[in-house]
Amino acid sequence: MLDNYLPILIFILVGILVGVGPLVLGYLLGPRRPDSEKDSPYECGFAAFESARLKFDVRYYLVAILFIIFDLEIAFLFPWAVALGELGLFAFWAMVVFLGILVVGFIYEWKKGALEWE
Amino acid sequence: MAEKLIFYILAVITLWASVMVITRKNPVHSVLFLVLAFVTSAGLWVLLEAEFLGIVLILVYVGAVMVLFLFVVMMLDIDLATIRAGFVQNLPLAGLIAAIMAVEILLIVGPGNFGLDAFPKPEPLGAEVSNTRELGLLLYSVYIYPVEIAAVILLLAIVAAIRLTLRRRPDTKFIDPAQQVRVRKGPDRVRLVKMAAEDVAPVVDKGDAQ
Amino acid sequence: MSFDAANLLPILPEIAILITASLVLILDLYLKDQDKGLNHSITLIGLVIAIGLTGAVGGGDAQVFFDGNLIRDPMSDLLKGAILIVSVLTFIYARPWLQDRGMLVGEFYVLGLLAVLGMLIMVSANGFLTLYLGLELQALALYALVAFDRDSSTGAEAAMKYFVLGALGSGLLLYGVSMIYGATGSIEFAPVAAAVAEQGISNKVLVFGIAFLVIGIGFKFGAVPFHMWVPDVYEGGPTPAVLILSSAPKIAAFALAVRMLVDGLHTLHPDWQGMLVILAVLSMGLGNLVAIAQSNIKRMLAYSTISHVGFIFLGLLAGSEQGFAAAMFYTIVYAVMSVGAFGILLILSRQGFDAERLEDLKGLNDRDAWYAAMMALIMFSMAGVPPTVGFMAKLLVLEAVVRIDMLWLALVAVFFSIIGAFYYLRVIKFIYFDKPADDAPALLTSSGVRFAMSLNGLALLALGLFPAALLSVCQAAF
Repeated sequence: MLDNYLPILIFILVGILVGVGPLVLGYLLGPRRPDSEKDSPYECGFAAFESARLKFDVRYYLVAILFIIFDLEIAFLFPWAVALGELGLFAFWAMVVFLGILVVGFIYEWKKGALEWE
Repeated sequence: MAEKLIFYILAVITLWASVMVITRKNPVHSVLFLVLAFVTSAGLWVLLEAEFLGIVLILVYVGAVMVLFLFVVMMLDIDLATIRAGFVQNLPLAGLIAAIMAVEILLIVGPGNFGLDAFPKPEPLGAEVSNTRELGLLLYSVYIYPVEIAAVILLLAIVAAIRLTLRRRPDTKFIDPAQQVRVRKGPDRVRLVKMAAEDVAPVVDKGDAQ
Repeated sequence: MSFDAANLLPILPEIAILITASLVLILDLYLKDQDKGLNHSITLIGLVIAIGLTGAVGGGDAQVFFDGNLIRDPMSDLLKGAILIVSVLTFIYARPWLQDRGMLVGEFYVLGLLAVLGMLIMVSANGFLTLYLGLELQALALYALVAFDRDSSTGAEAAMKYFVLGALGSGLLLYGVSMIYGATGSIEFAPVAAAVAEQGISNKVLVFGIAFLVIGIGFKFGAVPFHMWVPDVYEGGPTPAVLILSSAPKIAAFALAVRMLVDGLHTLHPDWQGMLVILAVLSMGLGNLVAIAQSNIKRMLAYSTISHVGFIFLGLLAGSEQGFAAAMFYTIVYAVMSVGAFGILLILSRQGFDAERLEDLKGLNDRDAWYAAMMALIMFSMAGVPPTVGFMAKLLVLEAVVRIDMLWLALVAVFFSIIGAFYYLRVIKFIYFDKPADDAPALLTSSGVRFAMSLNGLALLALGLFPAALLSVCQAAF
């Protein structure tokens, strides 16, 4: 089974090479003469007023978690789709129940307005 | 042989990344190292011939859960200096307990109980075997009851997340594109008001109908 | 593969609860604020239907369904019934509190129902996987319920503590399960038991796994030294959430312990007995001693829970059928007592006021003699005073412990329960011998609440006088 993954491994290695290679070349070939002024954060010539990190709105969290829930649902769908041909009608109805339960949740979040940003 | 080499490379990266997760000062860097640890563990799972789990780890954990982690880290604006205040004082005791636990776990999980004699190396599967299909065959026949319970847990997660974080914000001003699109040409855009005709002004300005 | 529709029969109560929860969830979106009471009615109807279905499909010998994931036996029938009945009481008591605070929304009922569903799944699980999923369903719903009052910072803090420690407990439990699976090669209880019997008790992996299982059970029960979350969650959480949390989940936790330790690992009884002895003695000792020092009644009841958990462990560690039956009897009785005690707190609360201090109970007798009598019954029962059922429950577990020649343990238990009697009797002193606060208004409760509370209190007396009915059902389960 692992034979199937050899092309992927080669792909990853080439990808790393393409990504890391230029960085290494730049590091080796480019002139680097850092000083404290160059390394300090730049804000229109002033000293920085505050931390660059802003607090995120909690709404991002809600969107992210709703995304994860349906992402997980998809993770359940893959093996089902691959094996459905052999499992037959029973597995079909099992997935209908599975999706039905989640559709209840989907109706709830839609009607509740959780998908709206305002 | 090649498998062994890949295993050691991935394992070393996983361990290094995990150590970086708990030692970085910047929590965002910690999360990114956690992503790296997940990616390499996914590689380890694929080596174990659990390809579906490896892919799901990348799809769900790297793709979604870590994004959530980043949001949470951004949302909380953690000041690590205060969290680490007691770090040095607590280190000896914590280190001792951790060491004892590590030795205990090593003794139990080590080669004595889970070595090659108890669990011989499985035969490598052929190229035509699909881990995803095998999982599907089991999940949707023998383990159908747990799968449906998992659906209920996901439903519960939806309800709990919405109940705990969704708040109406009546004061925000925003434009609803759906409402804009729905505007009809006639009555919504232009409103014609009927007025009694007045004699005084001979010239009627067109804009007055508004 | 063909599917036998007979598999659906034993989960009819679960299906009823799930349909009720979905119905409430969707219907609530379309209900106007003044009609929210409908959620309550539907929930109660659903629970009653589930009780009926439990009775209808129950009875008879143990049967295994869903390829070994689900079991229906006398124990699951009884525990399901107990969980559902206790939950009915819970929702009845919680309603006025929710209504006064504008929280009578569908989500409370949905989360509560899903917690109940998780418990039902736990008690009829026949494998570690199903058991764990049921546990997580129940636990997630309870975390959300503790944080239900979004504007309360103490509630959020309590929920956070509960969530972090609960997740830790679940993680440890899962680690133990992985060890057991590694050693036996199965996650279903019967094959695990067979494999354990074959390998004997020399297998260190199994013992290591059991240590983690017991830690997980300790966390879920709230036994010392895994009790840290209990007082903070009880004090910080909204009272209806604590009411749910303190009653039926204890029955589910009992099922968790019995399914894993008895169904799966009974052969290793000598190994887990020692661990449970430590947990039991520490829980009874610390729970009873620290409860005396509490001025907050929710905190006091939290420590009282911890001490009762110690008693439940006494029955479990005996390892005999008699001991398991006694522990089961104790657990069910405790759930009924706990639901009553928190129910009284909810009755004493009113708009803008939560009964939380012991002083809030002062002069309850002058304000409402009947509720005072019920609370006195509950307190006597918790203290173990005859003829209430608390006495019978304690007597049974002590008898089981004495039967296995652990007289010292029984004496320790008696010693600590005498200490514990002090703080229960102090509550009774507040109720009967102190004057109510001047600004205390008359207690206004609906007839439904009054009826439920009367049933609740009198059940403790009736079961104490005629324990044979419940006891024989408990004994039949093992």
